[in-house]
Amino acid sequence: MGFILSLSRFITRLNSLLGVWILSYLVVAMLVLLLFEIISRYAFSAPTVWASELTQLLFGAYIILSGGFLLVRNGHINVDILYNRFAVRKKALLNIVTSFLFFAFMAVMLKEGWAMAEDSFSMRETSYSAWNPAIWPLKLAIPLGIMLLLLQGIVRLMGDVCVLLGRPELARQMVAGNEGTVVEFVAEPADVREKNDVA
Amino acid sequence: MSPELLTALFFGSLLLFVALGVSLSFVLGGVSAIFLYFTWGADGFFMVSSRVWTTMNSFTLISIPLFVFMALILERTGLAQSLYRMMYLWMGGLRGGLAIGTVAICTVFAAMVGISGAAVVAMGAVALPAMLARGYDKKMALGCINAGGGLGILIPPSVVMIIYSLNTGVSVGSLFAAGILPGILLATLVGLYIGIRCFLQPELGPALSKDERASWGEKLASVKAVILPIMIVVMVLGSILSGIATPTEAAAIGALGALICAVAHRSFSRKMIHEAAVKTLVISAMIMWIFIGAHVFSTAYNAMGAQQLIASLMQHIPGGAVGALIVMLGIVFIMGMFLDPIGIMLITLPIFMPVVNQFGFDPIWFGILFIIMMEVGYMTPPFGFNLFYLKGVVPPGVTMGDIYRSVVPYVLVIFLGMLLIGLIPGIALYLPGILV
Repeated sequence: MGFILSLSRFITRLNSLLGVWILSYLVVAMLVLLLFEIISRYAFSAPTVWASELTQLLFGAYIILSGGFLLVRNGHINVDILYNRFAVRKKALLNIVTSFLFFAFMAVMLKEGWAMAEDSFSMRETSYSAWNPAIWPLKLAIPLGIMLLLLQGIVRLMGDVCVLLGRPELARQMVAGNEGTVVEFVAEPADVREKNDVA
Repeated sequence: MSPELLTALFFGSLLLFVALGVSLSFVLGGVSAIFLYFTWGADGFFMVSSRVWTTMNSFTLISIPLFVFMALILERTGLAQSLYRMMYLWMGGLRGGLAIGTVAICTVFAAMVGISGAAVVAMGAVALPAMLARGYDKKMALGCINAGGGLGILIPPSVVMIIYSLNTGVSVGSLFAAGILPGILLATLVGLYIGIRCFLQPELGPALSKDERASWGEKLASVKAVILPIMIVVMVLGSILSGIATPTEAAAIGALGALICAVAHRSFSRKMIHEAAVKTLVISAMIMWIFIGAHVFSTAYNAMGAQQLIASLMQHIPGGAVGALIVMLGIVFIMGMFLDPIGIMLITLPIFMPVVNQFGFDPIWFGILFIIMMEVGYMTPPFGFNLFYLKGVVPPGVTMGDIYRSVVPYVLVIFLGMLLIGLIPGIALYLPGILV
């Protein structure tokens, strides 16, 4: 049990730190690159071959690696009008029963993402643009991002099992100590609501 | 299994699991994966990874985190406070003036940022307490923020329009141009409604007493609050509509404008950048993962032949073109109560677009009606986003019930605007015709 607990804490910490300190700052990097490109194009009439494409590569990493972080924050949008009426243990049971959807989705993504990454790596694929950077590392990021999300999903499943077995404190410990973590079954409805900051 | 039964089962299970509170992206991805497996076997999946790769390589989508970042910075600058002070000085003497001013500020915000939440949060925190303190009716005050905030997705720039354009092939520039007049029309109608209602029932929005009103000197001095917002609007919209910059580059320019604004208001700090960056990641990831789930969904959806089936079902709707339009918008209205706009678009547009083409609707005009309907979705219970943004910032004593009840007249006003745009397509189509 102790091993599972520390492993869960490690996975959560990894996703959380990756999101808060690396991925989140990519938006600043993309902003700077785009402005640099605009300035060199209009002020110096010297458009670069690399600024836009590098922004694109950063954006790819930004989205595909963010899944696990988003799950730590309980940020994957759901409709909880009905769900929020259930008691804590019923929610946990429901989460466990419906988790097969998550795992089916992850299985497809992992299988296909891996096939694509393997292909790309075996030929050391580049983008064939004027700048021609290697793009196989970004394709490898697809199965990596899926793994991060899958692992966080497993942590969540184990948390739900703990709640169902009447040990909610274990579920809390699995994700405790990270900035902004939300445990669905422990949070107040108001906290759960706060996540809905879409568009 | 017949395509009819299969489709019914497919959509039935989607709805079931969404209702059970499973995250939208996992429902889309999971249900589709399972159906695809049982109809086509594991070979059916090959499209999925290339679709995900296409998403990661979309230059237009980069504008989403940038617009979100820009909005989150602007929300934290204090710009809303100084704009509101100006409105207060100029409009306070009019019955309902503070509410009308609030709608006007929401319109300005809508023209600066591409998402709807920023105006609601800023106005809920600044304008609402001021209106309540001046004896404004609770429902009047809540409703005008809610309705004004909804304009964010209709008045360009708009993330929702960018996603609509990616799904339909309509140019982003045309959509942006098409949103301007309908946005101004809706803001005017909402303002008129407040003005007339408060003129007839002054207790809903009393005018400030004579000694509370500002002098002309104060009024003129306050006008400098609009300089920065106008600069940002001109930079963002000007660069897109004139073709100097792509929407993505315009978003970067706008984010720079927001940062300048933060420096000018002395609210720029490392902490602010960090908070905005982290929240930007959460919101952008939320949108992009629904995209990823929707890719599996559309792969399954096409493989099962659901598209032809639904297109042929739509032909049996009575009333021809008008009937089809009403049914499509009705579906969006109902989905808007429960689902988020990105999910609605990714699920319905593949179904709707063949119908739109078949009846010869202008896709830009249809897009504007579609987007106004999603704006209504933002406002309507039980799951409109603006309601929850508002709940997050209202003073204690304002209940969710108050917020729910406040939207009714405003939704009716917006329906009126929609009817006008439906009957006179020129309101939407005039500007794209001359600008783009």
